Amino acid sequence: MPDISILTTITPNHYLVLSACLFMIGVAGVLLRRNLIVLFMSIELMLNAVNLSFVTFSHSFGKVDGQVMVFFVMTIAAAEAAVGLALAVSIFKRFKEVNIRFFEHLKG
Amino acid sequence: MTADAFLFWFLAALTIISALSVILMTNPIYSALSLAMTMVSVAAIFVTLQAYFLAGVQIIVYAGAVMVLFVMVLMLFDLKHELQAFTRGRFSGAFKIASIGSLAGLLVGAMYSARINSALTESSIAANATSKGAITPLAEELFLRNVFGFEALGVLLLVIAVGTVALSRSKGGTHARH
Amino acid sequence: MTSMGTTGFEITVNLIKTVLVFLMMVQAVPILVWLERRGSAFIQNRFGPNRVGPLGLLQLLADAVKFLTKEDFAPEKGNRFMFYAAPVFALIPAAIAYMAIPMSVPLKLETATFLIQGFEINVGIVFVLGISSLAAYTILMAGWGSGSKFSLMGAMRASAQIISYELALGLSIVGVILMYGTFNFNEMILQQQGPLSFNAFGYTVATAALPNWGIFYQPVGMILFFAATFAESNRLPFDLAEGEAELVAGFHTEYGGFKMLMFFIGEYGHMMIASGLMATFFFGGYGIPYVSIQDVQNFGMNLFGSEIAANVFNTVVHFLCYNIKFGLFLWIFIWVRWTLPRFRYDQLMDLGWKTMLPWALVNTMVTAAVMFVTTYFMF
Repeated sequence: MPDISILTTITPNHYLVLSACLFMIGVAGVLLRRNLIVLFMSIELMLNAVNLSFVTFSHSFGKVDGQVMVFFVMTIAAAEAAVGLALAVSIFKRFKEVNIRFFEHLKG
Repeated sequence: MTADAFLFWFLAALTIISALSVILMTNPIYSALSLAMTMVSVAAIFVTLQAYFLAGVQIIVYAGAVMVLFVMVLMLFDLKHELQAFTRGRFSGAFKIASIGSLAGLLVGAMYSARINSALTESSIAANATSKGAITPLAEELFLRNVFGFEALGVLLLVIAVGTVALSRSKGGTHARH
Repeated sequence: MTSMGTTGFEITVNLIKTVLVFLMMVQAVPILVWLERRGSAFIQNRFGPNRVGPLGLLQLLADAVKFLTKEDFAPEKGNRFMFYAAPVFALIPAAIAYMAIPMSVPLKLETATFLIQGFEINVGIVFVLGISSLAAYTILMAGWGSGSKFSLMGAMRASAQIISYELALGLSIVGVILMYGTFNFNEMILQQQGPLSFNAFGYTVATAALPNWGIFYQPVGMILFFAATFAESNRLPFDLAEGEAELVAGFHTEYGGFKMLMFFIGEYGHMMIASGLMATFFFGGYGIPYVSIQDVQNFGMNLFGSEIAANVFNTVVHFLCYNIKFGLFLWIFIWVRWTLPRFRYDQLMDLGWKTMLPWALVNTMVTAAVMFVTTYFMF
């Protein structure tokens, strides 16, 4: 009978691997997609992955420092989304397009 | 299989599937809605880690405010068809995917070489503060030891708010004066 | 978060209870619709539905049959998946959030204790606010999935309004949280038991004339909270999302039949959450003014003579008391809808950002300052 303790006993490692998977999906999104807003969303995904590993470490070490860090990350993420969306809206107004292929040159 | 393990695998599968659909859906509105789903399931994972307050904040801030903003902006754009949703070029695409894959392999390998083998138990944070849901230690940490960072964050938010308003009033912005 | 119990009996009862609370919520909707139609008729000096059954009560059944047998259609230009998913998602957040509100004293049966709520959560307030803020998605999904300009305009208005008023809503209860020092609804209600009494400058101030309710400590917070919940549940005077004079019916223009009814249940669900929270934060929850929980228990003991019967009596009496308060706020929601005219959109945004948000901030700061001064300065 194969060892199934990896399935039945959940260790912090499980959470960290999940967090790494989420982070990789975010990186893949940033590299592969060309829609400006989907790029922003991929960055949010990466920030979430980092939050998850912070909470995991906070839990396994029994300290709240990690959770405080998550607060800071969340605030920065919300601010980033606000500025990013304002930029996206003004880019859309000017180019009628949010695909990064259409404004990769630094000229109006 | 215990209930905890079942819950973890279920939530992990939900998170991964919805995160994958964020980057694989060609319609950006579906992407945004899947991202909201990812946020909610990450909040549920926070609950399994006994970070109840953070789970609530995650839902309020991310799922309730940030993602609603994303969905609203996308619906305003009303992108019917997307030109080249994914990156061009067979070679560069393959190269990017390969680099992502190797990076993922490295990370997971590093984690397994530094195993933390203790099974997940009731953490001391949650056990210490039974009635308040572990909020008191969090508040003490945030407002006593990290008060400078907290204030700096407030200043940053103010700057961001001013910047956003200025951006949307500039030429080509949402509220530009003609 | 409490577990679902240890013995099989406890787990079964807790699961059934969750379903029961949901059913209770859904079943209250037809009664509210009847109340709304009769109430509006009363306010506008009309008759209202009075033909089917006594007082028109069976009108609801007739309506339900009508809704169920209507043709099920989806607009051709819209997005079918979103169009059908939106009404389903309208129900879920409202139902889950309502389950966290306690409705009576916990029922003790020998060794087991059952809370009269779907589930107890330590960070109840954060949970309810978070889950009910997810309602913005259903509106956006409905508006976009319909593929109609009126729907999209209504959805945009509604979601912008919900995001804006969430700030005022959240800030208006910070004072309450500061005062009770807890996020847990049950602890909050227990602190509001008994006559008005508080410690200030080392003295204890008490009057027997008033109950120890939150409204006497947080009147400004109460007004701001109640106004913000009107905006959150998209009711008049803030129902710009529907605005039938401008937008036909807003985000549910294209919906009919049972799908429309599900949006209705969602809207009434938000009204119920708001009423339940009002009662819990500011009016003592299930507590009866001037009578303590122990008094009711003793009265039940004298009446029935057995411990279990007294416990059941206690729970039922407090449940009725909760429902009286709950019903009163629901009636105020209906009353306001048929009394006040609708705001203009810029007035709505001005009210949210320039009036309610600063007042909520001032309320928070004044509460914190007063609490600090009265606790740490002695005379």
